[in-house]
Amino acid sequence: MSLLEALVYGAIIALIFGTILPLLYRSKNTRKASFSLSFFSSILLLAFAGTVLYTGKEPTFPAFGFLPGLNFTMAADRLSAGFILLIAAVVPGVSIYSIEYVEHAKSEARKDIQTVLTNLFILAMLMVVLAGNMVGFLIFWEIMSLSSLMLVLHDYSSEENKKAGIFYFIMTSLSTAFLFMGFISLFRLTGSAEFGHLDYAASILTLPFLCLFIGFGIKAGLVPFHKWLPYAHPAAPSSVSALMSGVMLKVAIYGFLRFLLSVSAPEIWWGVLIIIGGSLSAILGVIYAFRESDIKKLLAYSSIENVGIIFTGIGLYLIFKLEGLEGLAMLSLVGASFHAFNHALFKSLLFLCAGSIVHATGTRSIEAFGGLIKRMPRTAALFLIGSVSIAGLPPANGFVSELMLFQAYFYSSALQDPLLKVLLIITLSVFALTSALVAALFVKLFGITFLALPRTKCAKEAIEVPQPMLSGEAIPAALCILSGLFSNRILALFGFDFGIPDMLVIGLLLVGVCGFVWLGVRNTGFSKTPRRSKETWGCGILAQHPTMEYSSIGFSEPLIAIFKKIYRPEISSTRTYSDTKECIFKDGTTKIHFPKFFEKHLYLPVAHTVNVISFQVSRMQNGKLGTYVFYVFIAVLTLMTFTRYFA
Amino acid sequence: MNASFLLFTLLNTGFILLVSPFFMSLIKKVKAYVQGRKGPKLLQSYFDLRKLMQKEVVYSPNSSIIMRITPYLNLGALLLATLFVPVVFIPNAPAGIGNVIVFLYLLVIERFFTSLSGLDSGSAFGGMGSSRLMSLSAVIEPTMIIAFAALAYVLKTVNFHEMFAITAGSTIPESPTLSLISISLFIIIIVETGRIPVDNPATHLELTMINEAMILEQSGKNLALIELAHAIKQTILMAILINTLAPFGLATELTFTGIVISCFYFLVKASLLAGLIGLFESSIAKMRLFRLPGFYMMAFFFSALTILMEVFI
Repeated sequence: MSLLEALVYGAIIALIFGTILPLLYRSKNTRKASFSLSFFSSILLLAFAGTVLYTGKEPTFPAFGFLPGLNFTMAADRLSAGFILLIAAVVPGVSIYSIEYVEHAKSEARKDIQTVLTNLFILAMLMVVLAGNMVGFLIFWEIMSLSSLMLVLHDYSSEENKKAGIFYFIMTSLSTAFLFMGFISLFRLTGSAEFGHLDYAASILTLPFLCLFIGFGIKAGLVPFHKWLPYAHPAAPSSVSALMSGVMLKVAIYGFLRFLLSVSAPEIWWGVLIIIGGSLSAILGVIYAFRESDIKKLLAYSSIENVGIIFTGIGLYLIFKLEGLEGLAMLSLVGASFHAFNHALFKSLLFLCAGSIVHATGTRSIEAFGGLIKRMPRTAALFLIGSVSIAGLPPANGFVSELMLFQAYFYSSALQDPLLKVLLIITLSVFALTSALVAALFVKLFGITFLALPRTKCAKEAIEVPQPMLSGEAIPAALCILSGLFSNRILALFGFDFGIPDMLVIGLLLVGVCGFVWLGVRNTGFSKTPRRSKETWGCGILAQHPTMEYSSIGFSEPLIAIFKKIYRPEISSTRTYSDTKECIFKDGTTKIHFPKFFEKHLYLPVAHTVNVISFQVSRMQNGKLGTYVFYVFIAVLTLMTFTRYFA
Repeated sequence: MNASFLLFTLLNTGFILLVSPFFMSLIKKVKAYVQGRKGPKLLQSYFDLRKLMQKEVVYSPNSSIIMRITPYLNLGALLLATLFVPVVFIPNAPAGIGNVIVFLYLLVIERFFTSLSGLDSGSAFGGMGSSRLMSLSAVIEPTMIIAFAALAYVLKTVNFHEMFAITAGSTIPESPTLSLISISLFIIIIVETGRIPVDNPATHLELTMINEAMILEQSGKNLALIELAHAIKQTILMAILINTLAPFGLATELTFTGIVISCFYFLVKASLLAGLIGLFESSIAKMRLFRLPGFYMMAFFFSALTILMEVFI
C-alpha cells in the first residue's frame, strides 16, 4: 500500500470515526472532535486529489467481495480526483462553520444527530465518487440521498419542512429508479458492473443515456426536474444546504460525466439535448430566482442556473468533440468542470453566509433585512466576495469558468454544420442573458439585504455571528479569490493550457489602477476637500424611513414586466365603494400571485395519475392472510407460465 | 511586460483620459445647436470636473463603504479597460490584455458597483435607478455578446488588439458584414452611455432617470470620478466602433509619427461620431421603459444577422 492509498483510507477512517463518535459519547467536545475529523479528512483528500491530478498516477485498491458475484471496488482516475478535490475544497469551511452552527440546534439529541448525519453524508458523497463499479455507486448513492433526506427533515415539526422532506424523498427516489434502469440496461449490455469503455453504437445506448440523463438530471436539479431544490434547501440547516448545493449536485454531474466519457461513439443529438436542457435550466433558474424573496430559495434557484451552465459546457464538449474540434471540446469540458468546482466554492460560501444572516435575524425573508452591513460587517464582506464571484466579475473564480465557456462559443465559427452554428448562437445569447441576470440578481440580494436602513426590528437588532462561523465562511471566500487569480497556474499544473487570459495579471492591474486613482486623488491637492454627513434627501420629509427604500419585489419589477410571459403573474383585486355608482373608492385589496408553472402543469398531473392508480391498487388490499397467499399463488403461476412460453 | 506595452499603458490611457470629457461637451454642444441654443463651452466638462473635485463630499449616514469605494473601483475598472482598446498604436501586449470577454466584464464591474451604491443610501431614487439599470443591461447583454461574437466570427480572434491589427491599414471595413455589426455597436454605445432614447443624461426627473438616479447621492470628488469613468466608457466604446468601421490611420507599429497621426485621426473620427450621436439624440424621443427591449432586439437582429451571413455564405 503506497502513500496515495493510505491518504484515502485515512480520510475514510476519519469520516467513519466522525460518524460513530458522537453516537457513543454525547458531548459538545465529541461533536467538535467529529467535525475536526471531517476537516482533517478533507486535508488528506486534498493531498490525494492534487497528487492524482498532477501526476496522473492511478492508485489501485483491493476489491471487497460482499455477495457472490458482487464486488465493491474503489478506483480513482483524474475525473474522480477532480471531484474529490471539489469535496475537499468545500468540506473544511463547512466543518469549521458547523462546530458553532450545530450548537444552535433545538435539543442535544438533534445536535448529535446533525453531526452524525453530516459526517455520514460527506462520507457517502466521497464513496460515490470513489466507487469503481455500479454496485458501490448505487449503494452509496442511496446512503447519500437518505442521509441528506434526514438532514432536510431535521426540523420535522414544521408543516413546511415535512412537505419539503416528502417532495425531496420522492424526487430522489425517482432519480435512483432511473439510475437503476440505466445501470441495469448497461449491465445487460456489457455483462459486467464495472465502469469501462462502452464501445457500442449510440443507437444501442439510447435507453441507458436517456435514463441516466434523467436520473442524474433530477439529482442535479435540471429543469424541469428542479422543483425539489427550492423546497429542500430552505428546510435543511444552512451548513447542509452548502453541502447539498455545493457538493451533492456535483456528484450527480460526476456520475453523468463518468458515463458520458466512457461512451466511445455518442451521437450529436445527445449533445444537442444536453445543451438545450442546460441552457433552459440556466435561464429559467435565474428568472425564477428573481421573484423569490426567501434568501435560501433564491440561492437554490441560482444553483439550478449554475447546474444549467455546467450542462451547457458538457453539451458543448460533446458537440465539438463529434465535429472533430478536440481543442475546443477540451476547453468546454474543463470549463464545465471548473465551473462545477467554482460553484461549489461560492455557493457553499453564500449558503453559509445565508445561515449566518438567518441565525442573526431569525427570518429568511429578504424584505425583512436591510442595513446589515453596519451590524454584520464581516459577514457582509464575505457575502460580497461570494456575490462578486457568482456574478462573474474578474478576477474572481466564477468569471474564469464563464470566460472559458464564452471563449469556446466565440471560436465556434470553426464548426462545419450551419444548423449547429445557429443552435450555438441561440444558446450563446441565452448564456449571455443568464450571466447578466445573475449580476442583477446578486445586486438585488446584496443590496436589499445589507445596504440602506434595516426594514424590521429583527434586522435592526442583528449582531455579528461568532468567530468559528466567520472562519468557516472565510475558507471558501479565500479559495474563491485564489482559484480565480491563480486559475491559469492551477490549470497548467494539471496539464491544461488553453491560452485564456491570465487573471493574475488582470487582478494585479486592477488593484494597481484603483490604487493609482486613489493616490492620484489623494496627492493632487483634492484630499483636503471637506466631507459631511447628511441625511438622504427624502423629498421634503425630515427623516428617512425604511419604507421609502426599494424592496426586493420592487427591485424585480422591471424584469417581471419584461419577462411577463414566463412569470405569468396573476393579479386579483377586490374593491368596495362608498356610493352605489361605484365612483368613490372605499377599500380594497390587490394580490399578485406567481403561479408555479411546472408544479401545476407537470408535477401535479403526474402525482394525480399516480394517486388514481394507487387508489385502484389499494382496493386489492383487505388485510386478510388468505387473500395475500392467494395473490402469491397467482404471481407464481403467472411467472411460471411466462417463463415457459415467452422467455 | 515589455517597454512597448509600458509606453502603450501611459500613452493610450493618458490620451483617452485626456480627451474623454471633450466628447461629452461636444455632444452637449451639438444637441444645443440643434435645439437653437448656444450650448456650453467645449471645455466645459473639464471645468465641471475641476469644480466637483474641489467641492465637499456629502455622505448619507445610512451609506456604507460601498458608496465610498465605488468611485475608485469604477474609474479603476474603466482605466483598465482602456488598455484593451488600442487608440494610439497596437502594442505587443501580454496575453489576455485585449480579450473581448474580459473587457465586457470590466464594464460589468462598473455597473455592479454603481448599482450597489445606488441602493446604499436608501433613497427610493437610487433603488429605482439600480433596478432599472440592472434589468435593462441584462436585456442588452445578449446583444452585446452576439455583436462581439460576430466580430470574433468575422475576424477569427477574441482579442481586440489582434482584431484591430487585422482591420487597421484598410480604409474601408475588412468585410462588408462589419458594417452591419457597426449598427449594433452604435446602439450599444447609446444604451451603455445612457443616452436618448434609453435614458436622458440631461434630466433629473424620476420618470426618465436611470443612470442619474443611481448617482444622485454622490457628490464632490466622488461624483467627479464617476462622471470621468462614464466619459471614458463612452470614448472606448466609440473607439471600438471607429476601429471596426473606419480603421484607417491606426498605427500598428510604435513610431512617433505613427502615434501622432493615430491620435489626430482618432480625434477627427471620434468628433464626427460624437456629432452623429448628438444628432441621433436630438432626432428621437425618449422611449417608454418597457418599449426598450424592442429597441434592443433591433441591435440583436443586426448582430445575429452578421453571424448568420458568415455561417451560410
